[in-house]
Amino acid sequence: MEPLLASTSVTSDANSRNGDGDLCSSRETSERLKLSEDLESSGNNSGDLSAEYVLLQLRIFRINLVVTAFAAVVSILFVDLNAAISLLLGACSGIIYLRLLAKNIGSLGKSSSSVGKVQLIVPVALVLVVAKVPDLHLLPSLVGFLLYKPSLIIQFLLEPYARKNLVN
Amino acid sequence: MDSITTAASVVAAGLAVGLGAIGPGIGQGSAAQGAVEGIARQPEAEGKIRGTLLLSFAFMESLTIYGLVVALVLLFANPFAG
Repeated sequence: MEPLLASTSVTSDANSRNGDGDLCSSRETSERLKLSEDLESSGNNSGDLSAEYVLLQLRIFRINLVVTAFAAVVSILFVDLNAAISLLLGACSGIIYLRLLAKNIGSLGKSSSSVGKVQLIVPVALVLVVAKVPDLHLLPSLVGFLLYKPSLIIQFLLEPYARKNLVN
Repeated sequence: MDSITTAASVVAAGLAVGLGAIGPGIGQGSAAQGAVEGIARQPEAEGKIRGTLLLSFAFMESLTIYGLVVALVLLFANPFAG
């Protein structure tokens, strides 16, 4: 599954720079290495600096997936299957919306001077699809769409721990 | 749906989107201005500034989405339609 990448992908070239091959066995380890290098040194280029932003989006994406799975299980158990499908559709729309928003913010100040409004098409399309398909419900799909907000709050609460782990 | 309900729904939909977009629009503009100024002044904090901007934009734009959803419900899934 493709992560929430905004503009530049995180490449694992820390191995070739440092020469310590045993530390870079996995991709995540090399990402952490590269990010800690970025945090330590202040004179890097913009591609290195945006790695922190890309990692933030990746963390939000993972938390969003966990929250969505939890909400889908709860809605299957306590409501019904149609509500769960609507919730999953809304959650997918929320992920796409957040990705488009992150892409627009990533290009802010580089290729554009203002944040675009393309991401607002996603809730419009969601409401239109839910209104046209009789099996889908509006309220669960909106709740699913807004699941990105608890994900952002959880990420904001967990950020000090993640930053501490990255520095260590 | 009678004509008065239709007309009121269309007017309410326009007001919901229009009035609901004023506040977040002003807020997003000032937030983007501050973020770009911050990145220009302190380029080493670009990732952190962009992350904070993403959080604040997501929360601000949800206010616009609320108005948008109300407008779309009034237009396409109106609960007051007989």
